[in-house]
Amino acid sequence: MTYPPNNPYGGGNPYGGQPQPGYGQPQPGYGQPQPGYGQPQPGYGQPQPGYGQPPYGGQPQPPYGGPPQPSGPPAGVPTTLNVQSLPDDDNVNPYVFCITLNGEWFMSKGAMLAYYGNVQFDAVTEYSSVQAWVGAKFSSPIYVQDWVVAQGHGKVLIGDRGFDLNAYDLDDGNLTIKASNLCAFSPALELKQSIVPGFVTLIGTGKFIASSNGPVIFVEPPFRADPDALLGWADCPSPSVHHDAQWMTQSMLGALSGALGRASGEERQYDFTGKGTILLQSSEVAREDPAVLRLVESQTQLLTNAQAGSLGQRLVARAQQQH
Amino acid sequence: MAQLTAQKRVLHADLHGDRIRAASGSMVAYEGNVDFKNSGMGGGGGMRAALKRAVAGESISLMDCTGHGRVHLAKDAMDVLVVDLGGDTLTVESEHILAHTEHLRLDVQFAGLRGMTSGQGLATTTVTGQGQVAIVSDGPVMALEVAPGQDLVVDPDAYVGSRGQLSMNLVSGVSWKSLVGEGSGEPFSLRFTGHGLVLVQSSER
Repeated sequence: MTYPPNNPYGGGNPYGGQPQPGYGQPQPGYGQPQPGYGQPQPGYGQPQPGYGQPPYGGQPQPPYGGPPQPSGPPAGVPTTLNVQSLPDDDNVNPYVFCITLNGEWFMSKGAMLAYYGNVQFDAVTEYSSVQAWVGAKFSSPIYVQDWVVAQGHGKVLIGDRGFDLNAYDLDDGNLTIKASNLCAFSPALELKQSIVPGFVTLIGTGKFIASSNGPVIFVEPPFRADPDALLGWADCPSPSVHHDAQWMTQSMLGALSGALGRASGEERQYDFTGKGTILLQSSEVAREDPAVLRLVESQTQLLTNAQAGSLGQRLVARAQQQH
Repeated sequence: MAQLTAQKRVLHADLHGDRIRAASGSMVAYEGNVDFKNSGMGGGGGMRAALKRAVAGESISLMDCTGHGRVHLAKDAMDVLVVDLGGDTLTVESEHILAHTEHLRLDVQFAGLRGMTSGQGLATTTVTGQGQVAIVSDGPVMALEVAPGQDLVVDPDAYVGSRGQLSMNLVSGVSWKSLVGEGSGEPFSLRFTGHGLVLVQSSER
């Protein structure tokens, strides 16, 4: 069987309209104005022809065929994929990305779904003792436990909770992304911890793969984003936190009663100014990021013993309230 | 002959006076005259299968749907795939079975150590015969081909099922050193060798 290498769905562009060079393979160079981003992309959000519809692959598929069905090929039967027909560094479907591994890649723990070839997975901590460059490329002690180095030759399929996966090419740029949404990155890039908790910054030239709950929306500053829906930003200065003016007035009046109690959940946003691009996901469902705990814990060193004690009491009270 | 048709996350089952088995509680709507009845223990596979299931902990709870009409089945908004069997065997995790037509036989196959890693039970279910099986998956299923010289390694949580002459072993992708303390996150994987297809879902939950 032969397949067009970059078109795993068989006939037609699965994402509707015109051929978009690399769904999920955005654009070289983030900073410049991007034609197509920021405005609705044709094909997103509308039924995707060719997905879940009959002839997925076209030809009869020997292993699945069985007796030919009178009603035509059964709906939704996936095309058989193998090493040759898997795409090179491209999406297999909106939720799965295939990395052609030839050397090393950093991958988030548990992102691997399956692989062909000779691939070895080592904890980053383990690997850095063998290869000193790892420490220079992965400069975030908070996240190091959640990452592995995939090393070898083959094709690795990765996925993340069934979220949409997109590949991004950085060209001598920088992009900050929610750490729990980053799935894999090439060692050509350098990872650093962002000042904003829960985010990491990738610097350099290379490719990385990130997940989003729903399609990614690109906007330009000035812009205020909900912290949960914020996926990342490129080239912008770090955001400041903006609080709703009315909420601020109220909480200043009621400061004695403890401002933490009166949150609607929407009074706090991240405020972006300057030049750049902001990435949003279309859902606010967040994943528990184990690193945030480590991050906050490491910052408690700033507290005096008395302060730490009173923080501890407040946390105990909060934990008891939630039960 | 009952006909199963998948439409994204819903399975349509057209009944013409015959019977299908479906996962208990998976009916979302039906048209026509259809009776629903619990198949009893063992998923209707008979006493022997029931015993093996009890031993293996491979739980499955099915109901009989009989009558005339169309039944709509779904489970946790998972994607549905219909597999046509022509006398051969499909190996599938029991929790992924949504429905199957009448003349298929469900049995339990012991899978050795594998169950220890994924918590999916020590055994796996085989479906044999002539008919259709509907399986659910988290995200669309990919059918990955395994051929001699093209071994495939799969995360146990992404594994849905397999078909063909395959043998499965447990592999550890990490050295013993990294097992102590922090794991690599892919501590055990399933290596498939032989000739066949492996069904993999797009989420590792």
